[in-house]
Parts: sequence; C-alpha cells; structure tokens
Amino acid sequence: MKKRTLLGGAIALIIALFALNACGPAKRDLNLYTWSDYIDPELVKAFEEQYDCRVIIDTFDSNEAMYAKLKAGAKGYDLLVPTSYMAEVLYKEKMIRELDLAQIPNAKYIDKNYLDGKAFDKTMAYSVPYMIGTTGVAYRDDKIEDVEDSWAIFGREDLKGRMTMLNDMRETLGAALKYLGYSLNTTDETQISAAGDQIIKWKANLAKFENEQYKSGIASGEFYVVQGYSGDILQVQEESENVVYMLPKEGFAIACDDMVIPTDATDADLAYAFINFVQNPENAARNVEYVYYLCPNTGAYQLLPEEIKEDPAVFIPEDLLDKAETIRDLGPDNQKYIQVWDRVKSAN
Amino acid sequence: MKRSRFPFVATTLILVFLYLPILVLFAQSFNDARFGGSWNGFTLKWYKLLFEHRGVITATENTLIVAVTATLLSTVLGTLAAWALHRFQSRMQKVHQVLIYGPLVVPDILMGISLLLLFVNLSVPLGLGTVIVAHSTFGLSYVAFVVLGRLQEFDHSLLDAARDLGAGSWTTLWRVLLPLLWPGIAAGALLAFTLSLDDFVITFFVAGPGSSTLPVQVYGMMKHGQPALINALSVLFMSATFGIVLASQFLLRKRYD
Repeated sequence: MKKRTLLGGAIALIIALFALNACGPAKRDLNLYTWSDYIDPELVKAFEEQYDCRVIIDTFDSNEAMYAKLKAGAKGYDLLVPTSYMAEVLYKEKMIRELDLAQIPNAKYIDKNYLDGKAFDKTMAYSVPYMIGTTGVAYRDDKIEDVEDSWAIFGREDLKGRMTMLNDMRETLGAALKYLGYSLNTTDETQISAAGDQIIKWKANLAKFENEQYKSGIASGEFYVVQGYSGDILQVQEESENVVYMLPKEGFAIACDDMVIPTDATDADLAYAFINFVQNPENAARNVEYVYYLCPNTGAYQLLPEEIKEDPAVFIPEDLLDKAETIRDLGPDNQKYIQVWDRVKSAN
Repeated sequence: MKRSRFPFVATTLILVFLYLPILVLFAQSFNDARFGGSWNGFTLKWYKLLFEHRGVITATENTLIVAVTATLLSTVLGTLAAWALHRFQSRMQKVHQVLIYGPLVVPDILMGISLLLLFVNLSVPLGLGTVIVAHSTFGLSYVAFVVLGRLQEFDHSLLDAARDLGAGSWTTLWRVLLPLLWPGIAAGALLAFTLSLDDFVITFFVAGPGSSTLPVQVYGMMKHGQPALINALSVLFMSATFGIVLASQFLLRKRYD
C-alpha cells in the first residue's frame, strides 16, 4: 500500500501548491509581456508597493513570436513592449488601444527630438517610447589604433579579416547609405546601388557577415571591429574592458521599444499607471542605469550619472541623434534592397 | 580473428559529439567570463544571480506544478489507453491508436497553435491549466506506448490464475496487474515528466500571463538580457533531467521475475 500513500502524497502536494497560488486577498494584477531583463526589478517592487498590486512579467524572444501568439487570440496581457515597427502593425490591426495621454502626465518628458524626427508614432497616439538602442561599431582598443568615429573603419586594409558586419540587409546597406550621406530609408535606386558597391569594397576586408557570433568573437579578440547592436555590445563590455563602442559621425540606425496597451487588457488603468511610473524622470533614470538602454525621457537625461552620459553605447548625444534614423518598412520598395543585397552577397 | 576497431572508434566519436558540448556548458557555468571566449576564473556568481532572479523562480515553480500534474494525468490516461488498445481489437480501437499516435508525430508548432486556437475558441483563459492540459495531451501518448510495450510481454494467464484463486477484479487490478505493469508505468511517467519539463514550443503558445515555464523564460533570456545565467540554469536543469532519465532506464531494465 506504499504506492497508494505516495500517490496520495503527490496529489495533496499539488492541491497545496494550487491553494498556495490562489490564497491571499485578491490583488490587482498587471500582466506585463516584455523582453527578458528589460526593467529594474527594484522599480517593479516599488510599483507593486505603491499600487498594492502584483506585476506579473512574461517574456518573449522576438516581436514575431509575440505577434503570432496574440494574433491567434491569446488574451490577458495588460501591457506589451514591442519594437516600434511591430507596435505600428499591432495598431493597424486594432490589437492595441489609442492612448489617453491625460492618464500619463509624465509623457510630457518624452524627448521631442526623438518623437518628431524618428518615431513612427509622433503624437504618442498608441505608444509611449520605452528604450532606444543603436546599431554602431565596436572595436578593441588594445588591438587597433587611430580609430575615427566613422563607418570608414571598414575600409581599413590593415584590419583585413578581423572585421565583421551584420548579416542584415537593411542594417548593413543602411550603414553604407549613411556613410555616403544618404538616408537609410532611401528608395532611390542609384543611391542603394552605390551603397551596395561600397559594401562590396568593404567586404574584401571583412571576415564575414555575422549576427550572433560577433559578440563572442570580439570578446575573445578574434575580431577587432564589428558592426553590432548596442545592447549586445554592452553585454560584451561587462566582461571585456578593451571593447569600445562608437557611434559613427555619419549617422546610424536606431530602434525603439514602445509601451502599448492591448485592446483587451483587463486592467488598463493599472497599465497607464505603470507607463506613467516608469516615465517618472527619477524612475526612468534608475531604469536606464539598470537595463543600459536609453529611455528618451528628457527629465531623466540630467539625472543620469556622468559615466552613462559619456557612454555612446547608452547615451546618444543630441547632435548624433539628429543624424540617426529608424529603419522603416518600405513595402514594395524593399525589392530594390533585396536586389542589391543579393549582388553584395554573391560578389567576391 | 582480430576484431574490427571501427565500432569502438565510432562509439567514442559519437559519445564525444553528444556529451562534449554538455561538459563545456558545465564548465562555462563556473566561468567568470560572460561569453566564454576565455577563462576568467572560477565563479559561482551565475548561480547566485540565478537564485535571485524572480522570473526564473516563478518559472521554476510553474514548471514543477505543470510537470507533476501533467505527469499524473497522462500516466493515468495513458495507462488506461494502453490497456484498452491491448485488450480490445475493433475498428474503433484502430482509430483510437491513430489518435494516441498523433501527438508523437505532429510537429510541436502545429500542436501549439492548434491548442491555442482551441482554447481561444472555447474562451478558456490561458494559464497553468491550459499548459497542463497541453502537456498531458502529448504526455499520455508517450505513456501509452511505453506501457503498451510492456503489455506485449504480459502473460494473461496470470490474470486468469488470480481469478481462479478467487480474486475479485479490484484485487486482481491492485495486486496482480498494476504491480506487474508498474515498471512500464513508472518509466512512461518519467518520460512524460521529462518531456513536460523540456517543452518550449507548445508551452509558448498555450501559456497565459504568469504561467511561463522555465524553457519559455530561458528562451527569452537567451536573446535578451543575461545569457550567462542560462549556463548555470542548464546545468541544474540537465542534472535533474539526466537523473530522471537514468531512473527511467533503470526501471525499464528491471524485468518481472
């Protein structure tokens, strides 16, 4: 009869676990669906105390996976943090709400420069910018000298075979377009073609086009110069102090993750409160220090410690932000990029 | 006659191929360096950070609740299904067999999406409950086939003998059938438990707010955040999985004498 006791014990344990989860006074829940490690846990705790609620965080690993799940009808999330292009898709498909900015007084701190010049949603009709990342260049300052803050670094023949660029059509052609002084969202075929020629010239010096391994490559010193995302480079920098991030003076791509409220959110008021809470300048500054991305909150800028303001991997100086651009979906014009990119990939 | 050395070499290479990455991972979980490009010294910091990570802790609780419940459900249902498939031969049982076989061959992504659509259409709120149902669905198939294998070696005259000696059907079940099938049932249950512990694709789709399991949490951390924590987590996770698999192997090997 030992087995029966064992089985009984197991069932009792499960019931106890369920009961444990269910007990306690019913608190309000904020169901946040976001990227992993994308908010300071202390901030979450402070919010929970202030609003006497629980913040339940679930994470996704790509915008597309999140979209697929929501599109199939998954419900229950009160706040999402998609990248801008995905926020636009969600809005067009009426999956997220129009925001009532009166409920987010701290939205007044959002950087007007960013909103007017770069954002898709300039009036914050459906999204509030949360964190900005950049695509720049990282290099090893112990291996190379005379680095100029420019995309021209990929033309240096002395670094042949020690450099990588991203294997991403828009990012990589975008870098060349910026270098040549064009917009990285251009639809002018001669400009795109010129960018292709530029990349082919650089390609002779590149080890490869690479999206993942460049992080460990530059950490170990296998590569000296890589084009990469600021968030990735920051992880490398935590380990290797010789890795320096630079934002090319000609301009670069930026991407922003935005906070949006799904149409079927169960507690939208709490979601509004949360957006307002993270955009409080003090909280935003603390959060930037934790996640090491830039929250475009002008109130927070002055509260940031000097070391962060001087770190191009996090903080984008105003004159450089002017030259930065957001990669937009070009619809049918994408084809022009695909043709040139094919030519780049097949060139020797 | 001299034996060929080929089997030995092939076996060694395959074992190295299978287990070297795991050994590297094991070592990396104690490496101070985040990317493992170089050895920066021994550290337990990833383990420490891991135990402080609220998302990981919640996900571990969820994973265990789901795995234990889904294992119980799929063991009971799977054993009953195996018994029915073995005992009765009819056209309906053929259909039954195909249905049980389905989850073993249907790609995870299809299972995930179709279960999600089912839950959405039935307006079932997504949460631990839906994850448990999903895991039981594929778990019961595995249990059924393991138990079925065991039943094929089963000597039915033992049941007749028990009845001959005056045992009622309840006594026969508890004192004869279940003890004889026990190793198969336990092995199936352990398999279901391991699969539930590891499942990402199906869980990603059917989990609702607050019911993410460890694999879902880990997948998010790999792309964003603190990838080095994952080495430590994988080592713990894998040790547990290995333990369970070893136990199930041991139980499968045991014959009823």
